[in-house]
Amino acid sequence: MIDSDETIRRTALWEAHRALGARMVPFGGFEMPVQYGEGILKEHDAVRHAAGLFDLSHMAQFELRGPGVGAWADTLTVNNVATIKPGVARYNIFCNEAGGAHDDVIFYRLDEERWLLVVNAANAAKMWAHLEAHPGPGVTLTNRHGERALIAIQGPRSVEILRTFVDADIAAMKYYTCLETRVRGRDAIVARTGYTGEDGFEVFLDSDDATDLWDALLASGPQPPAPCGLGARDVLRLEAGMPLYGHEMTETLGPIQAQLGWAVKFAKPAFIGKDALAAQVAAGDFSRIVGLVLDGKVPARAGYPVLVDGQVAGEVRSGSLAPALGKNIATALVPAAAASAGTRIGVEIRGTVHPATVVALPFYKRST
Amino acid sequence: MPVPAGLLYSKDHEWVKIEGEVATVGITDYAQASLGDIVYVELPRMGATLAQFGNIGVVESVKAVSDLFNPIGGEVVEVNKELEADPALLNRDPFASGWMYKVKLADAGEEANLLAPDKYEALIAEA
Repeated sequence: MIDSDETIRRTALWEAHRALGARMVPFGGFEMPVQYGEGILKEHDAVRHAAGLFDLSHMAQFELRGPGVGAWADTLTVNNVATIKPGVARYNIFCNEAGGAHDDVIFYRLDEERWLLVVNAANAAKMWAHLEAHPGPGVTLTNRHGERALIAIQGPRSVEILRTFVDADIAAMKYYTCLETRVRGRDAIVARTGYTGEDGFEVFLDSDDATDLWDALLASGPQPPAPCGLGARDVLRLEAGMPLYGHEMTETLGPIQAQLGWAVKFAKPAFIGKDALAAQVAAGDFSRIVGLVLDGKVPARAGYPVLVDGQVAGEVRSGSLAPALGKNIATALVPAAAASAGTRIGVEIRGTVHPATVVALPFYKRST
Repeated sequence: MPVPAGLLYSKDHEWVKIEGEVATVGITDYAQASLGDIVYVELPRMGATLAQFGNIGVVESVKAVSDLFNPIGGEVVEVNKELEADPALLNRDPFASGWMYKVKLADAGEEANLLAPDKYEALIAEA
């Protein structure tokens, strides 16, 4: 959360966004583009069918170094860390003792002893304090939040557009791998990761090099990638069934309830939140996040009540028109008894109940 | 930003076209551009009596819900049904085929509470 007296920061690409006619909004302590001139639907379309370009420099990059990182991080997170091979990335969640989530993150293992940890912008200060409060033997932490840039290119044409600028053969990279290489002659980390449900890459680089790469990508070829804002990003991630911290996960809504049990490794000897999460699984009656598809044309939005058998029993956590489906979709927190696919529920929108069906996530899956 | 002559405007970015006893109501080009891609619009019902500047519905873009305010009081006598199937008409043609509804005027004096085109142009220039 942003303190009211804290100055809103700018990424290295702020001038570029303004020049492109972006509408800027405060997000995670930074002034970020929510959309550009063409609008969210066109941006969404570019990512689903061609390529889109995102400035994600507001996200916090923490450098972790030392022989102890894997074992240390395994005690603080639900997923396996020490078993990550160099050159591989893995999704993970930091929990509190009650099984709620501090943040969801990605660990990138660059080599045996050097790692990159990417956390959500809105959680950056909290997460840095959390890591510092749990020092580990053989672990050195460096907070690069706001000092390093992150540019993502997402969509089926990402490989062919980005590869011409990168020394390494990125076409050979597998999903959720990373490597250190040079991009337009400058040191960078390239990862085949993203938050859109499409193929794509994330490029971590010095802030000083960000504008050069951004401009080069936007000028590449006859069909350059479309600049895309946080609005399109949120719609794309929701269609792809990916959680957004603060919506599908919070300090009181953890990974089991968020249907991310696949990422929780109970075989690990101990980690913060393990006992609470195990108790939740054993009891089995926890409310949980589900997907909803609404019958009608009225969009559901975060905070709207969800009715089961005519009684308010849950809440919409995210909602939007899904352009890829032509329908209104949402995530909702509902009781276990209402969580099976096919269950008919209601969403109360401005005093009227609108019917919807519980569906399995994701809403959208790319065909290749 | 186009601000056509012959219309009156509200500070909430609606336009009003008065023809005899009936006023046609829509949102301005400035409003549609600010909202972004419009995906749903909730309009007043036929026969409803609307007060000037009352909250009468919503217009929703991909990411946001915004309130609609009625710029001039009266009884709803026609609603643009095209908008139900194609709410993006509000983006494409806000001053013509994207009109929202028509009211039979309650009190001709309410026009005085609206802005002439030059005044509205000054308002959005400041925004």
